[in-house]
Amino acid sequence: MHELLSINYIDITLSVALQVILLGFIGGILSGFIGSGGAFFMTPGMMNLGVGGVVAVASNISHKFGKAMVGARKHAAAGNVDKKLAAFMLATALVGVQLAVWINSFLFKGGGGGGHGAPKGAGANLYISLVFAVILSMVALSMLRDIMKSKKGGVDGAGPSMKIAEFLAKLNLPPVIKFNVSDTKVSLWVLMVVGTATGWLAGTIGVGGFIGVPAMIYVFGVPTAVATGTELFLALFMGGYGAISYALHGFVDLRLTMLLYLGSLVGIHLGVYGVKVVNELYIRMVTSLIILLCVVSRIIAIPIYLRQLGFIDINASYDQYFNLGSKFFLFASGITGALVILMKVVQAYRHRRKIQKTLLVVKEPAMNRTEAVEAI
Amino acid sequence: MAIVMISSLFQSGRKELAEALAKKTNWPVLSREELVDRAREQGIKIGRLEVAMIKTPNKSEKLAREKELYLAFLTSILCEKAREGSFIYYGRGGHLLLPGVSHRLRVGLSTPQEVRVDRTAQALGLSPDKAVSYLNEIDEDFDKWIRFIHRVDSRDPKNFDALFNLENIGLNNAAEILSNMAQMPEFMPTAVSQRMVDNHYLSAQSRLRLSLDERTSAADLQIHADNGVVTVTYPPHQEQFRGHIPAVLADLKGCREIQCTMAETNILWIQERFDPTSENYKQIIQLSQRWGAAVELMRLIPPGEGEDATLANTDSDRAFSRRTCGRPYDGGVEDEEPETIYNDGGLYRTKEDLLGLGRFGGLHTVCGGYSSILERVQGNGQYAMVVIGDMFLSKGQSARTRQTRELALNIRDRLKAPVITADEMKSQLLFGKKQAVTMLVFFAVIVCIYYTVFSHQPVLFNFLSGSLHQNYVWLSPLVLFCFIPLIAYLWGTVTGLALKIINID
Repeated sequence: MHELLSINYIDITLSVALQVILLGFIGGILSGFIGSGGAFFMTPGMMNLGVGGVVAVASNISHKFGKAMVGARKHAAAGNVDKKLAAFMLATALVGVQLAVWINSFLFKGGGGGGHGAPKGAGANLYISLVFAVILSMVALSMLRDIMKSKKGGVDGAGPSMKIAEFLAKLNLPPVIKFNVSDTKVSLWVLMVVGTATGWLAGTIGVGGFIGVPAMIYVFGVPTAVATGTELFLALFMGGYGAISYALHGFVDLRLTMLLYLGSLVGIHLGVYGVKVVNELYIRMVTSLIILLCVVSRIIAIPIYLRQLGFIDINASYDQYFNLGSKFFLFASGITGALVILMKVVQAYRHRRKIQKTLLVVKEPAMNRTEAVEAI
Repeated sequence: MAIVMISSLFQSGRKELAEALAKKTNWPVLSREELVDRAREQGIKIGRLEVAMIKTPNKSEKLAREKELYLAFLTSILCEKAREGSFIYYGRGGHLLLPGVSHRLRVGLSTPQEVRVDRTAQALGLSPDKAVSYLNEIDEDFDKWIRFIHRVDSRDPKNFDALFNLENIGLNNAAEILSNMAQMPEFMPTAVSQRMVDNHYLSAQSRLRLSLDERTSAADLQIHADNGVVTVTYPPHQEQFRGHIPAVLADLKGCREIQCTMAETNILWIQERFDPTSENYKQIIQLSQRWGAAVELMRLIPPGEGEDATLANTDSDRAFSRRTCGRPYDGGVEDEEPETIYNDGGLYRTKEDLLGLGRFGGLHTVCGGYSSILERVQGNGQYAMVVIGDMFLSKGQSARTRQTRELALNIRDRLKAPVITADEMKSQLLFGKKQAVTMLVFFAVIVCIYYTVFSHQPVLFNFLSGSLHQNYVWLSPLVLFCFIPLIAYLWGTVTGLALKIINID
């Protein structure tokens, strides 16, 4: 095959292609069900197939870009996009994306390798894995904490806590900008910090939605539906910008992006269908458990990169076991999550197939017709 | 018999105006605070709802149930009062309660800010500066509350019948004007508006019973009442509540029939005339069966149809007014006078047909222009889709198309739900010959693209990252930028249409 295979791209056999399609399918189901990303599964999944971290992120961010374009149109039609908020976030998010692209490219080309003769990309892989593990652990644990609170019965059903949003609103750091669609006011400084962080995370691990959506809800006080729609709108631009930036460095593997689409655009329909028939607490619980298993999977792979960079001294032959363990947890989380969601989809589908006759109860009127007419 | 509903910002004189009007008319006065106290006595957690709605803009299933309960409680008491005779109500967003009842007189007040500041400082013992910031906060909370509860802008003048600027008119004179206005024919109860009060009352009573009874309190129900018929829609995963619903509503006064429909969601279908043999009906049924949705019918009776001449006194009245219209559908109750048999615009037959299919989700009749439709839909639940069928039939084709599009945009803004016209429904949501051709063509294109890409990998590598890329560094990013969304669009359309065939969308 072409010499570039050994540099940036992997050889895609039928088996690898089917695994990428499966990754896309599961990622699509999770993405449709959770409403954010799916990249947390697809990016490490591709890395487990031997794709370099940067190429996996670049191919996935390109995949996300096309998907966001289709999804954002639907959200915009439903009035769930705050374009003004998206514009403010975008300006700072692009800085974040650029920062991420720069760090990833630097690490990929040998920066951070420590001069230990580490294989190309090991530094970037370690960096991506660490960011992935830390950020997603925080997201999953805070979601689980919210679920526990709801179950204990406090202010259950009141939605996510607004403590941070209220605190920042009290600070009232000028200039404060009013967003009519979201019905909220946010300090420009807070917007800049959150926007940059969202862009950096999107550019680093391809899952900007995991910080963008919660940040909009918890920090800005934006309604959930608007946060999701606005994030997708934002992802369209960030994905486009990310795709172009990575493509300039030659990191986008179009074949992977196309294979991901084959699975994800089927899975996403099934995931969205699942959301309609499952209650929100269940959705949040399934989501957080899937994310936690993905984090475990990535943590198991970290010793491989540490060894390659010479930070720890373990036998290279153990890599296959770490890789196997990592792959097992990743696929276990994705497949279990997808199966649980698919089970719900099948249940709902069977419900629909049953002809549900309206239950008609004719009662004796509490007042007779003459009275009824007279009352008018 | 008059219903005067006064709404204003905090410390704007609504209480004083209500009292001045009561002094002139001897009508009883009700305040929101009074009703909220009574609601608390009944165990309705208003405080929790207020805190959550103002501070947490995310509505969960449980919070939505609490909101419905709060509105049902207020509606129930106001309807009871309306059936007894005239009354005055004042309170936050009072002008938005009892939507569609045309004999309400909805009053808004504008009060100079310095007056409000003085009054606030005096009432709460605050310094003027603190009073200003207190008022700013409370006005913001007021706006949020109205938007979350009623989904409208609290200051939208379209939702008022009279607005007084208290800088220019005294309270007593305003009260005098209101007492005269309330005697005008426009604000006199009609058969239609009285029926609307009865419907609101029955619907609210049903909601209260179902929400407060432990057997059904955890259910997410959509409830509608029309002429003694209560329609309750419940989601499939709450099928266990179905048996309890008729039991809980068993001896509800004024209820002569209960219809329970299981549905995953609701489709609102707005049209002037309904016909169960029409193409629109067949398409709606196809959609509702695919989505497992109940169909809620809303009939618009345009102004002028069966107009009550007493309400529009002059030609200029007719030119501006959208309040007048004929009697609504009477739900099949035989009229005592055969000559007044009412043309229900096909509602009854359509309803019976939907009942037979198990897809009936309630019905409404709305009189007037499309502001009346907007007022009616605002309080209703979440819809998966709003379909605007054949409307504005008296207009020419172009005017009809334009007005239908405007209505769609307005409803979309108000409900934050997808709104489509009947024409768009077929092309966008249903699977026909056109969609089959599109699917096959797109699929063929996708196969060609994938074959080309995977059979020319060395060229691709060269283009993405090799010497070609080095020579023309911007070429591959630009091509990818255009090519990737194209793939997503083509394959997304194919998968979407394929899943539509097996009714998953």
